[in-house]
Amino acid sequence: MALLQIAEPGQSTVPHEHRLAAGIDLGTTNSLIASVKSGLAETIIDEHGKDILPSVVSYQTDETLVGAEAKALSVSDPENTIVSAKRLIGRSKADIASKYASLPYNFCGDESHPSIATRKGDVNPVQVSAEILKTLAKRAELSLGGELTGVVITVPAYFDDAQRHSTKDAAKLAGINVLRLLNEPTAAAVAYGLDSGQEGVIAVYDLGGGTFDISILRLNKGVFEVLATGGDSALGGDDFDEVIVEDIIERAGLTRPLSASMERQLTQQACFAKEQLSMNDSVEISLLLESGNQWTNSLTRDDFEILALPLVKKTLRACRRAVKDAELSIADVIEVVMVGGSTRVPLVRNEVEKFFNKKPLTSIDPDKVVAIGAAIQADILAGNKPESDMLLLDVTPLSLGLETMGGLVEKVIPRNTTIPTAKAQEFTTFKDGQTAMAVHVLQGERELVDDCRSLARFELRGIPAMTAGAAHIRVTFKVDADGLLEVSAMEKSTGVESSITVKPSFGLEEHEITSMLKDSMENAEQDMQARMLKEQQVEASRVIESIQAALAVDSHLLNKVEITEIESNISALAKISQTGNAADVEASLEVLNHSTAAFAERRMDSSIKTALSGHSVDEV
Amino acid sequence: MNYFQLFGLDNQFSIDLANLSTIYQSLQKQVHPDRFAHASSQEQLVAVQRSTEINDAYQTLKSPLLRAQYMLELRGVDMPDEQATVGDVSFLMRQMELRELLAEIKFADDTDAAIFEASQVFESEFEQLFSQLQVQLSENTEQSNGLACDNVRKLKFYQKLQIELDKLEDELLDD
Repeated sequence: MALLQIAEPGQSTVPHEHRLAAGIDLGTTNSLIASVKSGLAETIIDEHGKDILPSVVSYQTDETLVGAEAKALSVSDPENTIVSAKRLIGRSKADIASKYASLPYNFCGDESHPSIATRKGDVNPVQVSAEILKTLAKRAELSLGGELTGVVITVPAYFDDAQRHSTKDAAKLAGINVLRLLNEPTAAAVAYGLDSGQEGVIAVYDLGGGTFDISILRLNKGVFEVLATGGDSALGGDDFDEVIVEDIIERAGLTRPLSASMERQLTQQACFAKEQLSMNDSVEISLLLESGNQWTNSLTRDDFEILALPLVKKTLRACRRAVKDAELSIADVIEVVMVGGSTRVPLVRNEVEKFFNKKPLTSIDPDKVVAIGAAIQADILAGNKPESDMLLLDVTPLSLGLETMGGLVEKVIPRNTTIPTAKAQEFTTFKDGQTAMAVHVLQGERELVDDCRSLARFELRGIPAMTAGAAHIRVTFKVDADGLLEVSAMEKSTGVESSITVKPSFGLEEHEITSMLKDSMENAEQDMQARMLKEQQVEASRVIESIQAALAVDSHLLNKVEITEIESNISALAKISQTGNAADVEASLEVLNHSTAAFAERRMDSSIKTALSGHSVDEV
Repeated sequence: MNYFQLFGLDNQFSIDLANLSTIYQSLQKQVHPDRFAHASSQEQLVAVQRSTEINDAYQTLKSPLLRAQYMLELRGVDMPDEQATVGDVSFLMRQMELRELLAEIKFADDTDAAIFEASQVFESEFEQLFSQLQVQLSENTEQSNGLACDNVRKLKFYQKLQIELDKLEDELLDD
């Protein structure tokens, strides 16, 4: 017999609408998109049945190719075909030149905004990444049959602030709403953790195409608490290829500099050899030399392992440090999860097994595990699983600090601090009558400014002239849940304030993103207006929906006057979002948000109280 | 609301860390920004603030030295800033000896044994000061709080020594 359903008092009887959300693994070599469909997280395939999208963009005269089609042109048209853009994102020109000297691109742009000259004009790494994101989002929308509410994009845990900002900019450029930037190892832990429901300390060893991450997490009742993270944002499978390339160059008697297409051919041969050696004991390498002659030679697995061992050892040193940072010993780690295509290399698996004294977990495809974890998180963030107990507590991978006298760095937020976080430090003036102070924000573990990553500089002006040491300047660092930094400075006695969201020197300015967006549209001004209105309307309906849901549950926290005010602001916004322009909707949204400030605080405090009382009841 | 109140705990130095961690996680389950990714901007703002506060409180309460320092702050004891010198001459002499001990590890025949030995010395001297600190904090008189304050600063010297030792160990293992 069918039973009649009765809803809990105050709760809506309308079944909750499923919001489309996806997880994107924006990889150095390959990218994927995944989504939760009827409770199961799966990668989404394209029309050819492939889920892996090579992270390659090729700028052709009449079209921009992304993925396999672009990859096919990487040898014949290397200057216009950008591979591994992730290695370039958020980096300065000098940075790129020192780390990746043999890239076939024609770099242009200024020192802190490097671009690549292609036949379609100058493109920067953010734009290249945006093309990849757009392609994936379109695929997901076709497959899921609707527009995406938002996505979770994964980034290497060891990405610095500039690289994170640039990734978020790429999403903005692609017109995608980012629910969260999620660290790749944490995503992998989610994919595994939810499967096994395990409790205890796990290590995630993530060796991708261009980056290496190690994270130590504690799993407890749905909470994934990252205890420490470490790694190298410029070490990955590409480096394995590079050691093979150097070996081939030596054996074939070639000398650098080589032509761009020769470099590409070498890289492809090396990558092929590396993959073959995961299954076979030796591999034939053949090159078409510029002379037209064919050069062939064989490479054995033993040869390769000798070449690659120093790289693997480097990753293990980072593992040791991370375990120590977590204040644990190797024996405390109950499980090791392997992530990233490069963990298919048998040498890597064997060395990791020896180091942790445990057979690593590889049951989920290492290429897909990050996207799957991201999809699970996206589903929860979109609000599709209100009953879920899962919570991710992540950390800052690198220390954040300020330049002080003598070119030294004063750390304000140490690495492995759980985010979101905020810390303040007080500084004072150095000279009598000093009225301005330069604030230089840095990221890294070293003590000297020159050895750390410079994130931003700004000036606090208008400090009243006082004797040296009399002014009290409070500099506040805030890191949000995406790991993005905001810094503000204030002179305490006068309240003179200066604040910036650290848009790293290597990122794009807001107006640059807007103008790039315009460039990508046919009727720039009109399309831009339409897009902005659409964004505000989506935001308005999201906010209205969430406030109404909150009122349904917690209206007892408000008095009649407050309820009336909020309700009238809701109807005003609903009306304006039908008729007004983007600016009107934004203004009306602001009014509504403002009128719910007290409500939001009371709701939060009441849930804190409930959590604490629930807790003491448990203990009694 | 102070950190102890925020976690529903008594204002005392001794803390059950497992319990602290359980309370921390259940609080974050309520306020973490991930819980509000789909909520109104106002709620997202409050979530970030509360979550930040709870993270900071947890960091402070979890670490014995930060907890001690925080308790002294709550009692209105003025903690001299980091640069101010410690007046205790014999303590400073001892620190110089320990620095030398640290500097000599590199030249030891058996560096592993030398590292182990140094860490034993650091630890036992730390423990000694630390148990004094516990007593001083529980007495809670003007005099004992002043002494506790000195001890917190002395313990930080040992913390730094331990960090240096860890760094050295890393360097030696990396070679």
